[in-house]
Amino acid sequence: MYRTAAKRLLGAGFATSRLLRLPKPRPTTTIIPYSYTSPLCTSSSMGHTESPIGNQSVNLNQPDPTSSSTGTREGTRRDESSRKPRAEFQEEQARVLAASLRHVPRLGWTEEAMIAGSREVGVSPSIVGSFSRKEAALVEYFMDECLQLLIDRVDSGLDLQNLIPSERVSKLVRIRLEMQIPYMSKWPQALSIQAHPANVPTSFKQRAMLVDEIWHTVGDGSSDLDWYVKRTVLGGVYSTTEIYMLTDDSPEYRDTWAFLDDRVKDAFDLKKSIQEAKYFAQDIGAGVGKSFQGLMNGVMQTMSTRGRSSAF
Amino acid sequence: MAFRSISRRFGSRLLTYRSSSLASLLHSHATSFGFQEVKEEEKSKLVGNVFTNVASSYDIMNDVMSGGLHRLWKERLVGKLSPFTGMKHLDVAGGTGDVAFRIFDAVNSVKRRALRKVDEESLEETQIYVCDINPNMLNVGKQRAAERGLSDNKSLVWVEGDAEALSFDDNSMDGYTIAFGIRNVTHIEKALAEAYRVLKRGGRFLCLELSHVDIPIFKDVYDLYSFKVIPNLGELIAGDRDSYQYLVESVRRFPPQEKFATMIADVGFEKVEYENLVGGVVAIHSAIKL
Repeated sequence: MYRTAAKRLLGAGFATSRLLRLPKPRPTTTIIPYSYTSPLCTSSSMGHTESPIGNQSVNLNQPDPTSSSTGTREGTRRDESSRKPRAEFQEEQARVLAASLRHVPRLGWTEEAMIAGSREVGVSPSIVGSFSRKEAALVEYFMDECLQLLIDRVDSGLDLQNLIPSERVSKLVRIRLEMQIPYMSKWPQALSIQAHPANVPTSFKQRAMLVDEIWHTVGDGSSDLDWYVKRTVLGGVYSTTEIYMLTDDSPEYRDTWAFLDDRVKDAFDLKKSIQEAKYFAQDIGAGVGKSFQGLMNGVMQTMSTRGRSSAF
Repeated sequence: MAFRSISRRFGSRLLTYRSSSLASLLHSHATSFGFQEVKEEEKSKLVGNVFTNVASSYDIMNDVMSGGLHRLWKERLVGKLSPFTGMKHLDVAGGTGDVAFRIFDAVNSVKRRALRKVDEESLEETQIYVCDINPNMLNVGKQRAAERGLSDNKSLVWVEGDAEALSFDDNSMDGYTIAFGIRNVTHIEKALAEAYRVLKRGGRFLCLELSHVDIPIFKDVYDLYSFKVIPNLGELIAGDRDSYQYLVESVRRFPPQEKFATMIADVGFEKVEYENLVGGVVAIHSAIKL
């Protein structure tokens, strides 16, 4: 939703820069992988003042549990501070989580994986204790990474020109789901973590962003109710395919992609079906109305002729 | 209980004002013994006397004064720490071992052992150091360890030492906790600097301490309870009214949550946050060394 809104506001000249760079205050943002933003990116929502003596400053958290919006000051502060650059917490967290992902297939989406990751990076595992909603932090980081990879794939020239919309959607969903293949053995755990009440807001938001991104890439120019319908439908298609994939044993997940193609086709057919149903209803309404009118005319004529004759 | 977690940051325009007020605040802490004014050099001796007197009934008094809530607070502290096997932890001013035992249990619990994946580094032994300036408090702690059958356990190490001048190496600890102890230190900033020194990169600092209540009516109830009920309980149970009078007064003299968070950040810690428990009666400050 951010990308379509931005395109509308800033016009065609809007560079396809990272969605995550938009300077907008987002009260419940997910963890932003800072390795993808430029070092000089500043978020105007933070608007902090520089300490002239370069004192160590305390990170500001908006009162939200994901505590991800603190790290945006790092770029400017490192440039201006006279002290040696200190790694900001957000960066460290991202590094630890990135390293932890390598241990997930073996250890699952757990604290153990994050402890192993932190040891790899050379940081005390105590830092894991400070991640908010620990395992969820890892899963959310992964979801963000995948979205970013998808955007990168699209931007670096994915060929969608020769495909009809339903095939484009299929292709994009397939690319995204393929990123989960290395973690497939532990993916059910990730899904259950995302389903915890505490984690639902963030996971819902991440999925909404993903679906929005896919529709945007496919070339969706809709607005009002249609926009919501499209995203809801695609969200449903994505989720069902994801779950189907969990129990798919076929070589290279062939069955999953067949399932996906069918579902996408159904969704597009659904759209057509809805349109057809609308026309059908209009026709019936028109038909009933016409016959009713005919009836009334007939009645009027009969009454008027009868009236003339009875007036005799 | 209303749990609220808030972090804060520096604004440069307030820097000069804050540093001068901070300096005077620290000086007043160093020379105050409750509401009395004392010489800096004498403060640690006076505090030492307090704890020598209360050591034997320290745990009972904690239970009575907080209605057993102190256990929940310490549980929450250890929960926030998320101990892991192979951890090197330092509990300062932890004489009677409450926090240390909880960490030990968390690391060695049956559930943990069942879930433990084989990992070369976890074969390192967990070390929990309990440091206290007062030998009487340490003795009570050792006694309690013996009662639990842990007196020969190599994981728990009882060390006599001063929070302002720790005998541990730089970058040697994964975690540092101080529960209800930093209030009694003469120079808070020195204790914080020492904490920063001994922690490894990524190490966690956690401080559980009685703090300031701002909620209107509850504040008055709390003040009434502090000044009327607690010294009397002290006299009745521990036979020592003055020590508990010192206790409630020292709570009022200690910097409020935001100020203390600033002090922690000054020393170099990152991600400084605090959480109020029971409306501010107790606050857990946490930070990371990076």
